[in-house]
Amino acid sequence: MVIFLARRIGASIVLLFVTSLVTFLLLSLSGQDVGRQLLGLNASQAAIDAKNAALGVDRPILVQYGDWLTRALRGDLGRSWFSSEYVTTAIAGRLPVTLSLMVGVTLVTAVVGYLLGVWAGIRRGAVDRFVQIFSVAGYALPGFLVTIVIVIVFAVQLRWFPAIGYIPITQSFSGWLSTITLPAISLSIAAVAGIAQQVRSSVIEVARSDYIRTLATRGLPHRNILFRHVLRNASAPALTVLGMQFVGLLGGAVIVEQIFGLPGIGSMAIQYTTQGDIPIIMGLVMLSAIGVVIVNLLVDLGIGWLLPKARTS
Amino acid sequence: MNKRLIGGIAAGVAALLVLTGCAGGDQPAAHDDTLKIGTMSKPTSLDPIDAIGGTMPYFQAVYDTLIRRAPDGTYEPSLATEWSYNDNRTVLTLTLRDDVTFDDGTKLDAAAVKANMDRFRDGGGPNASFLAGAEIAVVDPTHVTVTLPQADPGLEFYLSDSAGLMANPAKFSTDDALVTTPDGTGPYTLDSGKTAIGTSWVFDRRATYWGSKLDFSTITISAFDNENAMVNGLKTGQLDSALLQTADQQLAAENDPKLKAQDVLFDFQGVLLFDRGGALTPALAKPEVRQALNYAVDRETMLKVIRDGRGEITSQVWGVDTQGYEKSLDDYYAYDPAKAKELLADAGYADGFELVLPRLTTIVTDNIATALQTDLAAVGVTLTWQDVDAATALKQIFVQREFSGMVMNMGQSSDDWIVYKGLIAPGTFNFFGTTDETVQKLAASARTASGDEAKKIYQQLNEHIVKDAWFLPFYRMTYKLVTVPGITAVTQAGQAETSIYNYSLSH
Repeated sequence: MVIFLARRIGASIVLLFVTSLVTFLLLSLSGQDVGRQLLGLNASQAAIDAKNAALGVDRPILVQYGDWLTRALRGDLGRSWFSSEYVTTAIAGRLPVTLSLMVGVTLVTAVVGYLLGVWAGIRRGAVDRFVQIFSVAGYALPGFLVTIVIVIVFAVQLRWFPAIGYIPITQSFSGWLSTITLPAISLSIAAVAGIAQQVRSSVIEVARSDYIRTLATRGLPHRNILFRHVLRNASAPALTVLGMQFVGLLGGAVIVEQIFGLPGIGSMAIQYTTQGDIPIIMGLVMLSAIGVVIVNLLVDLGIGWLLPKARTS
Repeated sequence: MNKRLIGGIAAGVAALLVLTGCAGGDQPAAHDDTLKIGTMSKPTSLDPIDAIGGTMPYFQAVYDTLIRRAPDGTYEPSLATEWSYNDNRTVLTLTLRDDVTFDDGTKLDAAAVKANMDRFRDGGGPNASFLAGAEIAVVDPTHVTVTLPQADPGLEFYLSDSAGLMANPAKFSTDDALVTTPDGTGPYTLDSGKTAIGTSWVFDRRATYWGSKLDFSTITISAFDNENAMVNGLKTGQLDSALLQTADQQLAAENDPKLKAQDVLFDFQGVLLFDRGGALTPALAKPEVRQALNYAVDRETMLKVIRDGRGEITSQVWGVDTQGYEKSLDDYYAYDPAKAKELLADAGYADGFELVLPRLTTIVTDNIATALQTDLAAVGVTLTWQDVDAATALKQIFVQREFSGMVMNMGQSSDDWIVYKGLIAPGTFNFFGTTDETVQKLAASARTASGDEAKKIYQQLNEHIVKDAWFLPFYRMTYKLVTVPGITAVTQAGQAETSIYNYSLSH
């Protein structure tokens, strides 16, 4: 297990380095003129050159990258070009919003999706058909449309929840819950559908397999077979999907955060990327790369715990 | 089992609703003394040298300007109680209030004003050129003079805008001190604890403010990246005011009878024809060709299709709040493709010509792209769109000069000289530097003119620019300043977002 972890961490460091280098090069090669963007059209060329020099973007790209890397290793990700925020502060301020959303959605998805999937997989019949229809609908409905309808009905019309904004959990738990509920529900629908489908088919497949049948013929109690064997084996694929979905949620968060006016990572990514704010984009890319690495590691560990056989492979 | 499950869910939802303290019902009629503004504009910093027009409300909260712009665009005393020019209008003498202090007790005096203006001029900010060449001198603690290399009728405007913002000079010695911790004499101070830079800025009333107080103890300005969220915020009372630009969101706000929507005419949309010298597209050097383009465009239909009719067609770049504006010029180029073809033939382009324009999808939507292409094709002009992206567009268009023109949404200042300087004079939006004798003569006399004389000159200038077809304006776009019940807002001439001074509680 230690060797497995060490190998994984080593590979992750290489991955992070390569990601940062490639991202930085691609961003820097776009040929943007930050000074001009910042100072606008009325500024003189001399002022723009001075601004570019102050930001250090007049130096060779690799020198800039080296500078960024050495600072980043010390925990200094620099300052946004377009809002003057410190990148670490800006991300730290917005991360809780998106994390609240992602964790909330993942919890809802895991619990509801798993229950629906197991229910459909074991009961079959009408229950199964209901879950199937729900899954197809959940997949087919465009996320942004669902979100807009949810806002109009529950926030604007019924006034059950606020339509925009975010209240930090440190400020008020009920406030936090009220601001995060609708966005989390909007994001959960497709995710629940995905997990339910995955769990359902795994349960059906495992239940049909030879070793389960053998166990049943040996007279093991049904409940025992279900929990110790069927669900355990059927959970591994679901965990992988859940891990992938967690990472993918960042993409979904972009739209949901915009519609709900949530000051999170997703809406930040859109805004700053279109402007070409390299310090912020680099910070965000590193954050999501580290997030992906950690989630994958956790998923691997989880699968290893569920299925000891997987540890060696 | 199932019944129990459903019962459990119902109980959970009920508990959640109790927890979140949510209830239906309308907003009470009386508004509390907090003003929550939603905006799509964000400042790059709160240092006055970084201030630009669209972000002025942020700065107005913390800083005062030397001169204030009234809602109708006229100039009023603020930190300066009076100001006057010498005979040839090259020296402006300002008299300052003597009762204004910064938070740390430093007095705002002539030396502080000079320090601010020197720093603004040399600080390399977006509007540093406002004071280019100006010499600021301290006469005595309450008097400063601004000496200009030549008369500049825009000076009062500059001093009512970014160049007039006064910060505490004690902060000048530290780099970046004002960027996130502004220090001025304005009606509010930034509440750093509650502010999340980049998302929402919270301003608390300054107890020791020298001027008349606004009605609000707190002003929050929240930045959004889409108008849909702002409209939802207005409908639920989470926002008190926002400026809406897009037709569909304006409609969404108007559907709520409680919200009040006022017209704001600020931006016009049209093609800026940079290449009037014909450097890239020789055809554009001929006035007949530029006039033909103007006749070829069906403005009424464009306005209807693109903006749901929310605007006013125009053939002039001078806005309704200026002296040079003439209503009759709005439909000077009435849609007439036959006349356009005739003019093209007269100019020797009977077979048309090719025009390549950059396409920034944020401005040139599919509707605009198609409408313009179709209208111009009808008179034989082939319009090709070349996609550009936001990060590099400015460089390609204004530095590398790769295009003969561009579609822009241009703000229309209430100050005539700013219109001239921004669009007509050789410079940013006239980077090829084309001009003619009439323009030069009129501009020279406008420099030192005032009152009715100035008005006449600007009208002549405007008329000349329209007839010589320097631009291809489509229409002025109607924006809506939307407010909730209990909040009164007055629109500001020559400005999209209204100044914070224009907000009050309804009585």
